[in-house]
Amino acid sequence: MRLFWELCKLAFRRQLTYRAATLAGLTTNFFFGLLRAALMAALYGTRQEVAGISLAAAVTFTGLTQATIGYLSLFSWYEVMNSVYTGDISSDLLKPMDYFLFWLAQDLGRAIVALLMRGLTMMAAYALIFDVVWPHGAAQWLALAVALALSWLVSFSWRFLINLAAFWTPGAQGVGRFIFGLSWFTSGFLMPLRFFPDWFQHLCNLTPFPAMINTVVEVYLGVLTSPKLIQALLGQALWAVILIGAGQLVLRAGVRRLVIQGG
Amino acid sequence: MKATLDLYRRLIGVQIRSQLQYRAAFLTDLIGQGMATGIWFLSLALILQRFESIGGWSLGEVAFLYGTVETAFGTMDMIFSGFDPRFFGQQVRRGTFDQLLLRPVSITLQVLGSEFVLRRMGRIVQGVAILAVAVTLTDVRWTPLKLAYLPVVLTSLVCFFGGLFIIGSTITFWTIESIEVVNIFTYGGSELMSYPMHIYQEWMRRFFTYIVPAIFLNYYPALFILDKPDPFGLPPFAPFLAPAAGFGVLAAGLALWRFGIRHYQSTGS
Repeated sequence: MRLFWELCKLAFRRQLTYRAATLAGLTTNFFFGLLRAALMAALYGTRQEVAGISLAAAVTFTGLTQATIGYLSLFSWYEVMNSVYTGDISSDLLKPMDYFLFWLAQDLGRAIVALLMRGLTMMAAYALIFDVVWPHGAAQWLALAVALALSWLVSFSWRFLINLAAFWTPGAQGVGRFIFGLSWFTSGFLMPLRFFPDWFQHLCNLTPFPAMINTVVEVYLGVLTSPKLIQALLGQALWAVILIGAGQLVLRAGVRRLVIQGG
Repeated sequence: MKATLDLYRRLIGVQIRSQLQYRAAFLTDLIGQGMATGIWFLSLALILQRFESIGGWSLGEVAFLYGTVETAFGTMDMIFSGFDPRFFGQQVRRGTFDQLLLRPVSITLQVLGSEFVLRRMGRIVQGVAILAVAVTLTDVRWTPLKLAYLPVVLTSLVCFFGGLFIIGSTITFWTIESIEVVNIFTYGGSELMSYPMHIYQEWMRRFFTYIVPAIFLNYYPALFILDKPDPFGLPPFAPFLAPAAGFGVLAAGLALWRFGIRHYQSTGS
């Protein structure tokens, strides 16, 4: 466990040093946020509320989702994949630490920096120019913290799992791009899932993707009643367990067929 | 001239052949590229069941904007892959760009030929498909002028985005790191142009009219082709400024590029 925190701390420090990259990422995310907020306003027109979400909440939604891009590595994450292709994985597998935890620790360090530097800053920037909606009361903030932590765990387990495709094909990035693209839509990143027709929401809820973003959004906006809220958080936890389990099984199968090129 | 074209064809040919070596990987990559485009359209179609319009524009009309931008950006991203700031910045940082400078062939040609990402075809095909859907949804009253102008608009858009890529790459001569802020103009620009310009705040619209002339490249041509009134009251020739804006940005990019080459000092490593 000590090793886990050491790795996490190292990844945290490493991520902190990329200050220029953080600032550039933040600027780009913010610009896209402005576009998405304008789109929301244009969609709402004269409507006050749609599917229980006010225009102010919808604009906040665009900020909140832009704020999680860095935290959840929403656009790409191919580190395990690259380590298979470069062969670095051979030395990583020799380390006296579980391979999944080895990456989990590093991603935790990276995610915390992203949450603080890009997530919080984004929400602050949003609050400067828009009427931002905030969670009410300690209970909702607590629920949000739990939802955020679980969303990262689900997101990481899922990213880890699709990276393992590298054991079977040299073109795993294509597979990755495909699934990442699918996730923007079905996770509720592009639009709150509530805006979609019921049949589509049911379809999305069969996948782990809503547990990454939509749950966080709904908890933040306070549109869930208490029993639904508990159910949503438990759903996240369940997906985390399933994905971690699947990752372990696939990893074991993959390592068995892994051939390290010599030299 | 013939020798130049021949060389370009050979450089690209090598790229294409090597990318086609792993068939299955190429195929999934191709589909992955197009996915984002298809997903966007599906999402918009589903959302509009609830909201009906975006700032008064129907699904078909917005899809027209999106289809043109997506087709043009995909084409540009394939042809100008060598000038992709992310890719080019790496060449500068690693010093591989210096190797190109030593060869007795036009440097612009070499950079153009240094990368050709064939999988962008996925994006182009989806863009064209969305454009086709848009045309059927909006029943445009086609005239010979409109039919002739659409390819001109698409070509101008390719030049416009290509010019932005070249500017982004040239900046890395000084910054070494490829700077992500350039993405605001390239990827951000294509996102911005996928929706009708009147939904944005005034300062943003002005910026993308007078500093970066994006508004003339698809919003105004779309007003003309879809027979929609101009909400900003610009002169009636505004829809026809696309070629001037597109080729102008490309020319500005090339001029900056030549200036950059003359002052390039290498990373020295």
